[in-house]
This record gives sequence, structure tokens and C-alpha cells, in this order.
Amino acid sequence: MAGVTNVLAADLRVAPRANIRRDTSSQRPHIPWAEAIAEGLTRFASLADEDAARADLDARLSGLRDALRDSPYHARRLHAAGLHPGDLQTLDDLRHLPFLDREALAANWDAVPTPPSDADECVVVKSSGSIGAPVNVVRDRRDCLHMWAVLRFLVTRVGAALPPHPRVVLLDALPGGLEYSVRLPILHDGALHRISVLREDALQRLRRVRPAVLFSDPEGLRWLAAQPGVPTPRLVLTSAQHLPAGLREELANAVPAPVLNYYATTETGPLAWECPRPEAPGRFHVLAPDVWLEPGLDEVVVTRLRPSVLPLLRYLPGDAGSVRRDACACGFHGWTLEHFGGRGACHFVTPSGREVDAWALAWVFKHHALRGFRLTQVDVSHFRLELAGASPSDVAPLRERLAGALRNLGWTQPSLDVCHVEVSALAAGTKPQPFRRLR
Amino acid sequence: MAFDIREIQTQLEAAPIVSPYSHDLALAILCDTFRLAKVRPPSRADWGAMEDKARSPLWREQVVMLAHVLVSSALRQETVQVLQQNDDATTLLQRFFQDVAPLTAEMIRSNTFRREEFIRKWVRVVGGKCTGESPKGSVARIEQLDYRKAEAEMRRAEEARKKEADKRQQALREAEQRATEARGWRE
Repeated sequence: MAGVTNVLAADLRVAPRANIRRDTSSQRPHIPWAEAIAEGLTRFASLADEDAARADLDARLSGLRDALRDSPYHARRLHAAGLHPGDLQTLDDLRHLPFLDREALAANWDAVPTPPSDADECVVVKSSGSIGAPVNVVRDRRDCLHMWAVLRFLVTRVGAALPPHPRVVLLDALPGGLEYSVRLPILHDGALHRISVLREDALQRLRRVRPAVLFSDPEGLRWLAAQPGVPTPRLVLTSAQHLPAGLREELANAVPAPVLNYYATTETGPLAWECPRPEAPGRFHVLAPDVWLEPGLDEVVVTRLRPSVLPLLRYLPGDAGSVRRDACACGFHGWTLEHFGGRGACHFVTPSGREVDAWALAWVFKHHALRGFRLTQVDVSHFRLELAGASPSDVAPLRERLAGALRNLGWTQPSLDVCHVEVSALAAGTKPQPFRRLR
Repeated sequence: MAFDIREIQTQLEAAPIVSPYSHDLALAILCDTFRLAKVRPPSRADWGAMEDKARSPLWREQVVMLAHVLVSSALRQETVQVLQQNDDATTLLQRFFQDVAPLTAEMIRSNTFRREEFIRKWVRVVGGKCTGESPKGSVARIEQLDYRKAEAEMRRAEEARKKEADKRQQALREAEQRATEARGWRE
């Protein structure tokens, strides 16, 4: 267990205890798998022949068919529609099969997975409470390690060369202030350090670690760009969905490293990465063959082709975007997601005038059972929290945790009004907008 | 002559969803199809016996859907070409309705896979071939689509799941206890 939270100031204690795996040597048996994943992604990204690519992807549906048969939810759902897993023979067949939306996954989180075995070493993680209803997501060990396999591919993609035993930093701007360090055998015998920018010694730690790879969110990158003398990693990654050009420029001046923005959700894992060509922002190349994003639609529809305890068939993460076959000037061949409209961006402004990504607070809400919420910055230090379906006993701890998180982010005396509303009062279009600022 | 399954599917997608034919009219359409191929159609008594033998509440709606798909596409014309004068219409129909036993009219109407299965099983029973497919390929495709077989498999899987339900719940409970609270991918 990470014991860091007990050395923090009282105000920083807004995070629940976190489980950090320390038995990292158990990653070793999965190294050949991670290499195969990276090779598969590399091969697909240079496969110009669409028919060949589709034939390969079609062949991967056999594992999904078995998983659908073994998943109580999918088996029941297909049967009710007069379908069966054997109907799924090609990618084209997908359009005749039912969608799985976020609400259905939330309600059936324990019935969607295939029977977990001890060898799967499953965990249940919670997706962020972006619509107020966090989703329990069952993950097997390889789901947990998948990002490391994808990282191998992305490193090759940008032409970065990692040193032996690379150190990876997860630069964290979340209000929890969680920090830890663990070995990372799955990435060339490296190490992972989570550093919180909320701590006074964050810069010193970062300098000491000298990361080869740095992950962060826009808030963390903004902090990074403002620090003097930061070490230059070989690669910076963020899953910002929208990475503002201004921030890219700011960061390039302070940290001359390639910055790669990728699209991932807790339920699906990484799905695509943004084309690094500056003249083509907002175009995300799909991480086939691990996932398939259906072309020709106006929203993201994900089918996971990589074996997993959680078979995802036509999953709707709730993001807008359209996918088409692409031969990009960056050298990528495959499918590209365009007109991507992820979650609605919102920035709150602190009393000192600093802008803070409101989504940094989404994390606070996933620890509470709610049907919906909306947090509005009414005035500099005045917030209104609208809750739907919150149990009365949850309100006080939520208020306390949220106030603590706001203090950590720079509001010395936040005032918070809480009111209860119907969930319908929070609905605004298809995409949840749980954060807003009155101007 | 070969049956162009894709073309027949396209024609059916353009046809009215619901069969406009009553049961009696459907029987007449089926009889006429056999007559056009110079095959003696089943008698009224044969139809009655077939229904009794099928002992299925779905039999009547399947008859109506068969008439509908025959009339609404090239399936009828191709069938007439393929049928042999010495074919026994009653035996052939019995085999067909046995083959499609679990398919409801709703499935055939609204589900492209079950409609394809329905058509292919008809083609098989009348001894037709499918355009652009080897006989082996056609058999394999019917195997893939076979809803009755899939239903049996799914039933077996469901029973296995019921037996394992406690173990499954226990495994998920343990997984939940191991829950990580970070953004997901960390180890």
C-alpha cells in the first residue's frame, strides 16, 4: 500500500488509500506479450493494404466470439435479439449487433466479464465520475499492463530511443497528492515514479529522477512548462483529448521533447494517438489491431479485439468523432478518428488568477454513489454543487473531500453550496458537462 | 442456376417488413411455387399433417414468412428453376421447417443473420447452389449461422455459468477488494 498520504498536510488528505502493486517481478512473464502487442501495432500502422488489414482483424474476431459466449451479459443480450456470437464473422457484421453504452456497463459491470480465473489476477477499477455515475471496470492483468505495451510502440513511432532501465514519471496534478515509486520490469527493466505537483519538492524529485518518459495531464504540463531547469525526457505523453496549441508551444520552449497526445478511457484502455504533425491537429490514429473503432459513424464505437476478461462489443464511451481509412503524411496507414469531440473542456480560475482544468476534480466524485452532478464556479471562491441521487450520508464526506481538493488546487477559502436536483435537470445534450464556470 | 444470396437479401431489405399474406394465402403461394416447377404440391391433408408433426407455435408464422421471402425476391424464381419434377414437396417442406424450427417471424424480419439463415436453409433444402461459393463454403456458412446449434451451445454455456456462479461472484468480490483508485493503468 502506498503510505504517502499520511505524510501530507491535513489539507492534502483527500485521496482514499490506494493499492499499488509491489510484486512487480510478476510483470516479467508478460514481457513477450508486451513485445508482441508493440510489434502488432507497428505492423498495422504501416500496412497499406486495407483488405489485408481487414482480413487480419476479421481473424481476431474468433477470440471475441468465445468471450461473448462466456459473458453472461453479452450472451443474454445477443440471445434476446435473436443473435449469437457465431454471427460475428467479419468487421462488417458488427453493425448488426447491439451497442453497449456506459450506463449498461455500469449496471452490468459484474455480468459483462467472462469468468475470471485466478491467473487473470483481476482488479476492479472505477472510471472517473464524469457523469456522476462511476463505472466499475473489471481488468485482468494484461489490461493493467497494456499501456506499457502501447508505450513501447509509441516510443518507436516518434523515433525516441530509451536508455537502459528507463525511468518513467507520472506527473500528477490531481488533488489527491498521491506519490509512489515502483520497479517497471515490463518496460526494459525501468522504474515508475509518480510525482505530485502539489508537493513542495516536486521539481527536486523530477530533477533527481530525470525521466526518459513523462506522462501528465494538461494541468501537469502547464506546471512543467513554468519550471526552471527541468530535465528533458525522450518523450512526453498526455491523454488530454484536447491539447491546446498554446500549451504545446509553451511546453516546447521549456521541454524540447516530442509530445504525444493519446485518447484513452478507463473502460477501453488506449484507443488512438494524435498525429504529431502540427498541421494536422485533432486527428487520432487508431490503435489497431488491439481495438476497432467503427468507421462512418458520428460517434466513437469501440470493439476490443485484444483478448480481455472484459469483452467490449460496440462500446459507446460517449465521445463524438468519425473514423475513416487513412494514409497519413506522417507515414501512418490505418484508420483515423477525426472531428473528435471528447468531454467538454472547462477551466476554473483560482483567486490568484491561475486557470485550473476542472476535470482534475472529476476524480473526487467517483468515490461517491451519485446519479449525476454538476459543479459550477459561480464566483472566484464560490461554487455550487448540484447532486442527483446522492444519499444524505454521502453529502458531508463529499463536501469535505471536494473542499479539500479545491484548497489543494489553490482556493484558500472555497465556499460550496450543495443542492439536490433531479438527474434530468443535469442533462445537457448527449455529452455530460459536469463542470461549468459562470462568466 | 445459382442463388445470389446477397442480391436476395437486398431485395428483401427493400420489401415490406411484415408479410401481407394470411396463412391460407401463404399456403397457396407455396403450392403455386411447386406447381410452377411442375412438382405436385402438398395436399390440404399434407399441410395439416405437417403442422401436427411440427408441434410448434412458430410453424404458422414461418410458413407466412417463407411465402413472403419467396414472393418478395428472386428466391421464388430460382426455386422454380432448381426444383426437380420428382422432388417430394411435403418431405422437402418438412425438412425445411425442422431446420428453421427456432426462428421466429420477428427474427427473420429484423435480423439480417436469421434472414440469411432462413434463405440458405431453403436453398439447401431445394438443392440449390449459392453464387460465388463452393459447396463446402456454403455448408460452412450455414454452420456459422445455425441458430439452433448456437442456442444449444448458449444453453450449455449458461448452465456452466450457473454452476460457476458462486465462484464467479467470489472472484469478482476479490477483484473489487483489490480495486485500484488511480486513473487506471498504473501498476
